[in-house]
Amino acid sequence: MTSRRAIEIAGYALFIAAILLAPLVLGEFWINRIAKYLVFGMLGVAICLSWGYAGILNLGQGLFFGIGAYMMAMSLKLASTTSQQAASDTPIPDFMFWNAEPGAEQELCCITKTSFLWIPFQNQWFGLVMAVLVPTLIATGLGAIVFRKRISGVFVSVIMLALVLLVRLLIINNQPLTNGFNGLTDLGSFTVGAVVFDNFSKATYYAVALALALSLIGARLLVETRAGMVLQAVRDDANRARYLGFDVPHYQTFFFAVSAAIAGVAGLLYVNVASFASPTFMDLSFSITMVVWAAVGGRQSLLGACIGAILINVMEAGMSETQALVESWRAIIGIVFIAVVLFLPRGLAGLAGDLIDAATRPRSDAAAKLQVTSNRGGA
Amino acid sequence: MIDTLFTGLSLGSILLIVALGLAITYGAMGVINMAHGDLVMVGAYTTVMSGIWLHLGFFAAIPVAFVVTAMIGLAIERLIVRHLYGRLLDTLLATWGVAILLQQAVRLEFGASFFGRHIEGLGTGLQKVSVPEWMQGTFTIAGADINIYRTMIIVVALLFTALTWVLMYRTPVGMQLRAIMRNPKMAAACGIDVDRMNALAFAYGSGLAGVAGVLMSGFKTVFPDMGTPLVVDGFLVVVVGGVGSLFGTLAASGLLGQINGVVAAVSNDILARAVIFGVVIAIIVFKPSGLFSYKGR
Repeated sequence: MTSRRAIEIAGYALFIAAILLAPLVLGEFWINRIAKYLVFGMLGVAICLSWGYAGILNLGQGLFFGIGAYMMAMSLKLASTTSQQAASDTPIPDFMFWNAEPGAEQELCCITKTSFLWIPFQNQWFGLVMAVLVPTLIATGLGAIVFRKRISGVFVSVIMLALVLLVRLLIINNQPLTNGFNGLTDLGSFTVGAVVFDNFSKATYYAVALALALSLIGARLLVETRAGMVLQAVRDDANRARYLGFDVPHYQTFFFAVSAAIAGVAGLLYVNVASFASPTFMDLSFSITMVVWAAVGGRQSLLGACIGAILINVMEAGMSETQALVESWRAIIGIVFIAVVLFLPRGLAGLAGDLIDAATRPRSDAAAKLQVTSNRGGA
Repeated sequence: MIDTLFTGLSLGSILLIVALGLAITYGAMGVINMAHGDLVMVGAYTTVMSGIWLHLGFFAAIPVAFVVTAMIGLAIERLIVRHLYGRLLDTLLATWGVAILLQQAVRLEFGASFFGRHIEGLGTGLQKVSVPEWMQGTFTIAGADINIYRTMIIVVALLFTALTWVLMYRTPVGMQLRAIMRNPKMAAACGIDVDRMNALAFAYGSGLAGVAGVLMSGFKTVFPDMGTPLVVDGFLVVVVGGVGSLFGTLAASGLLGQINGVVAAVSNDILARAVIFGVVIAIIVFKPSGLFSYKGR
């Protein structure tokens, strides 16, 4: 057990060292790309936390990611040169002119009916804080309702799925507030003192890498606390945990909110890296894709889910150089996914764990083998 | 007024025909088949292909599509789903992989596009199916123009619902299937071939998706990605109606169709869909077992 733990710590240390040192060998183009994939790695961590540890398969994680992205993007949109150059006292996003109410005063307060909501976003820190706060609050509120009512399993998945699609439609429908289907493009950069978090800069990369490292370590430490243990007990048998006197919804809501917060941070970082926010973040396929990453990497391993997300995206980027491979790549992903569910329910991390066990334990240890097999099985 | 109600009815009947197959695969067998929408897509493409290559008419495509999608469904059950019974969320993930495969099979024209060949009727582009001329007209009831084609969809949807009801409640096969729904182990102990029944039920549910595809192809553009929103809709209908309840599926599709029609009439289509999602969330939160619940496995 100790050797296994040592290997796990070594794995985390190696991974974090690798992402922090990567800019030394990579060019500007790849730094930007890898930063994107690290953001997706954070989504892997968020999914793993709610799916692997809380047993809640969230088919709407894109909601938290998307809201985080939009909150940040609203601030950065106001910081862009085109918004700043608008002939008014306050910066005004270009699309608001196209959607302006006839005869309305050309100020952020009243150019469209809902534009006043943008006023606080003139401060970039407001956008930053809201990008984390809003997803967390929504998750807390939702959790308080859903888990108190003892809704579980697939019904939570359906609620989240319907919710993410609902919000997506509202964003598309509210053109004057959100620029609808086009999303928010032409964004400025987040600036702290002299450091500009430009999407190709190393500063942005390090911010992302640091956020990923922190959320990875934080989540790993969190699931080891007493609360984390109770949560896993709830996942395995909610009724038994309830009879033991634990306030089950309490634990579920807390970890659901943490997962949402990580997704929100991922959203705000993604906007800094990719310089746009779009309703496609809330497409059903994106939310399911996140689950795919986590499943391939290992739904019960935070590091595994994170690496799964990065690995799949790096491979996809490699494939996307040729047009014919792009289409077949999706087919390959489909096959890989079926194969993982059928043959590797614990993903790459599970496979790695088995290999480590096989290497570190004496061969005749039948009891250990038995334990490994009995640990298998789906969520 | 009658216009709006009729629109709601026809929207509901489309929901119904998509959800009917899911009601069996999810409701009866506990498998969330995310590939269901793509089986609908395959059904629609079967209509396109049989028109181009076999010169079959619109109605003749219905049995062809049923057989094609039922066969695909059978293959999915035998190869993948069979290993996943009792692991509900895993079936969702694995069939999502199948869904991607089906979409890519159509996009890549079964791999022919690698060799620079093009199969007419397949590929990434949009396809269109022409409906026989007599169905494109309208007739008038109480001052409202009623589209013949949409009326036909309603009729076919109800026919297939009736057929499914008879199969489930008035035949020995249906009785065995309902026994499996209640308790698969007990059913097996009573001598029911659970393995075979599951395969049959899955194939039938998939076949219904094919029929839905034929009907959809008449008024919607046919393209490889058309399935995803459909499976979501169908799935919501089944959950709202109550898992395992055929009547619940019928009622829920009617309800959601009407809400969609009425809201769309006073605002727009996007908002109507948003309202649908809101209603669904509310129903699940307040009545997680669905409107007409039934104790299944």
